[in-house]
Amino acid sequence: MDNNPISPSQRRGFLITILAGLGTAVTAVTLWPMWRFLAPRKGPGALERVAVARASVDLGAAHFFNFRGAPAVLLQPSPGNFAAFSAVCPHLGCIIKWQQDKGEFLCPCHAGRFSADGKVLGGPPPKPLESIPVALEGDQIMVG
Amino acid sequence: MPVIKKLVKTAIDFVDVRLGIRDILADNLTKYLLPRNVNIWYTLGAVLMTLFGLQFATGILLLIYYVPNPSEAFGSVQAIMNEVPFGWLIRYLHAVGSNVIVIALLLHMLSVLFMGAYKRPRELTWLSGFLLFNLALGLCLTGYLLPWSQLSFWATTVATDAAGAIPVIGDEIVRFLRGGAMVGDSTLGRFFALHVMGLPLILALLIGFHLFCVRRVGISKPPFGPDYQPQPPSQVFRHQEHPGGIPFFPNYFVKDLAVISFFLALLAGVVFFAPNLFIPPSAYEPADPFVTPPHIKPEWYFLWAYQTLKIFPSEFLGLAVQGAFMTFLALLPFLDRGPERRPARRPLFVTCYILGILVFLAISIWGHYS
Repeated sequence: MDNNPISPSQRRGFLITILAGLGTAVTAVTLWPMWRFLAPRKGPGALERVAVARASVDLGAAHFFNFRGAPAVLLQPSPGNFAAFSAVCPHLGCIIKWQQDKGEFLCPCHAGRFSADGKVLGGPPPKPLESIPVALEGDQIMVG
Repeated sequence: MPVIKKLVKTAIDFVDVRLGIRDILADNLTKYLLPRNVNIWYTLGAVLMTLFGLQFATGILLLIYYVPNPSEAFGSVQAIMNEVPFGWLIRYLHAVGSNVIVIALLLHMLSVLFMGAYKRPRELTWLSGFLLFNLALGLCLTGYLLPWSQLSFWATTVATDAAGAIPVIGDEIVRFLRGGAMVGDSTLGRFFALHVMGLPLILALLIGFHLFCVRRVGISKPPFGPDYQPQPPSQVFRHQEHPGGIPFFPNYFVKDLAVISFFLALLAGVVFFAPNLFIPPSAYEPADPFVTPPHIKPEWYFLWAYQTLKIFPSEFLGLAVQGAFMTFLALLPFLDRGPERRPARRPLFVTCYILGILVFLAISIWGHYS
């Protein structure tokens, strides 16, 4: 035993390395299922198009609907023309309102104003409303 | 490595200057000496703490997706099992874990009984442990209803119905437990509240008290070996020291870890290879209050109580016998007052002990096959 080439500190270092490795593995095996359990799942139809009945959007009026889990708005600015926008204000995420008498959107949180084609008219919003493509199919408006 | 070492040292230094953490750690880890002949049965407390911690963690996770509403409860549990990633793992750990806890509780209790560790001055430790045992069974019972399966529904119906055998006030107690005449919406509400908040809160407080008792009085010396002598009862408080014993950390801590690993392996083995060992098929059908499934039986740890109720000619008598037995068990340290703890010198006790275990097993098996 006298000429044992492994010193106690080497032994200790080896054990600590093994324990640290095991500890990391156990932590990973524990945390991975927890992370996957808790992580939000992509809802069905994250890429799906949404159909809105043409009759539900009056001329000059706005129709709010759920698009891929977030509020969106459909407008009919002129007969037969439709436009869709995300209804989420790009400033701090409040939901915009349609003011039919003025023909513009208002964000009630910090008075951001947007035109009927989504451009910023005034207030703090840093960019226009996100536009969503629309297509007419019979009496349905396909959004997305 | 030296960087990590330095970081750890800096962090410990910071807390140490402010809270004197090194003293506390030394007093409870390296300078905390256990009797030299301490055995493996003393690890069961640490095993139970780990298992309760696991129940707590998995319970909180399940709470995220579980809906405590009779029309949605069953569906939400199915969603946890089939849709949520690793939901099956979390739920099985929770459900199977409760069974492993009952096993560990029984072993913990039996080892304390066998070594006479419940005796003076540890009556309060025993009493709080006995209450913890009952609370754990209460948690099992209240948790059983939540998946709102046929099994949950009818097992709860049968279990709550047993209270009806109490004379005069029995029916009122059954109504109170169920929140109505039958198991239904209001039963789920109260069992859910008890299971996730009421009972765990009391359990946590009691575990704290139980540990305080253990640490304050000191570990009981195992009554084995040539140098064991029964201690005459002391009239004043005295912390039991074990000079020349082994340090809790790292010596006994490693043993704790080994037995904890064994129980976790047992749990993982059942969860991965035989999850239905404790979960009969009627747990996979939604509750139907109009159809009682055949062969409805309680969990294995309630079989003895279930069978006792059937053996006696009247339900009241059966319930009274159970009550008397549980009261006797709770008050045992106040009745059994001799200082002798060596099993070999307590033949009457050991005979009753072994007979008790055999009767428990026999009645449970009888209940299972009846």
